[in-house]
Amino acid sequence: MIARAGAPSIHAVGLAAAASALLAAAAIVPLDAPFLFCPFRAATGLPCLTCGCTHAFHFFVRGDFAAALASSPLGALLALVCAVHVVWTLLRLCGLPYAPSVRPTRTLRWTAAAALAANWAFLVLKP
Amino acid sequence: MLARCPNCRNTFSTERAGRQECPACGKPLVVPEPPAAPAPGVDVAPEQGTPWEHRKELGLWRAWTQTLSLALLEPARLFASARIDRTSDHLSFAVLTTSVFWAIGQILERAMLSGQREQMRRLLGAISENPDVSSMMQKMIDTQAAANSWPVVIGLSLLTPIFSFIFVYLNAAVTHAFALLLGQSKRGFPATFTVCCYACAPLVLMAVPACGSIVGVVWLVVLTGIGLKEAHRISTGGAAATVLTPYVAMCCLIFVVAAGMAMVFRNLMARQ
Repeated sequence: MIARAGAPSIHAVGLAAAASALLAAAAIVPLDAPFLFCPFRAATGLPCLTCGCTHAFHFFVRGDFAAALASSPLGALLALVCAVHVVWTLLRLCGLPYAPSVRPTRTLRWTAAAALAANWAFLVLKP
Repeated sequence: MLARCPNCRNTFSTERAGRQECPACGKPLVVPEPPAAPAPGVDVAPEQGTPWEHRKELGLWRAWTQTLSLALLEPARLFASARIDRTSDHLSFAVLTTSVFWAIGQILERAMLSGQREQMRRLLGAISENPDVSSMMQKMIDTQAAANSWPVVIGLSLLTPIFSFIFVYLNAAVTHAFALLLGQSKRGFPATFTVCCYACAPLVLMAVPACGSIVGVVWLVVLTGIGLKEAHRISTGGAAATVLTPYVAMCCLIFVVAAGMAMVFRNLMARQ
């Protein structure tokens, strides 16, 4: 899982920059803003795959992890991944010679697909 | 040439073939010889670089117009010629193309469509007086009015390079996540990133007020599919699945819920 690695690639730095921008935007976005609505939910009454992610990111950045998980477990996990990636890339830029190494095996792919489906079921069943 | 370490799976650029050490993990590996030179007479040989990657020789304007023309009219040829190790070139093409035309589009929309916006605002205002319509409508009107002021439009136009950078990376990350999920990532994130950058070419249409952005985004999705096929050397079906899965998955899940609800409803009716 954790392997020896050199300096982060330009893509790792670019993704970290995009992730930090996303987390910063989530921290300041007003949750009652009129543009924060899901057109899919408005049209069908059902949540989309990423419904609740804005709320989850917002609560996660503000340290309210329970509210983040309640809004969307997938969103909370993505926010955690973003935060870990940003911190890890900074550490690698400072000389940390290790990086996570994840191989997309068949089991991992099926687990990810099942997690996506479970998250959506959670959103549908959430009162 | 590009090589991938079999130990740490890091993709790196090297000038020579043969035995060497991975710059990331330091373990020894053998880089195979590159394929033979292409036959003479071929204009853009595979992975010999797009016009944008040769802009020092061609000049900025000529390189950009040739790349744009290839992306819009002969995308398969462009993606086949792209070198996936030229990250900064790809990123600069995407950010330049997207941000300039996005900014032009915003300014043109503000200047040309203000009359129609006023009409829409009056219409929304009339609707919002209806007690059945929520207060959200009024908030939307206020937000739209604030967003259409000249200082906001100019400010957003100046920030478009940052927005474009974030958009390119997020788009590449989501596309690559689905490529991994479906087992269609044969050449790693750099290949997906290259595709997502050159697929931004149709976003020049964002300079066209009103409908330009919609056409541009649809075209971007199509180009991404074509690009994934060429860059990852996967089948047409695999590429289409990777691009369309986020949308198709949605329809599938809704179908499952609808079917489930129908079964529950039928069982309840049968009991009564």
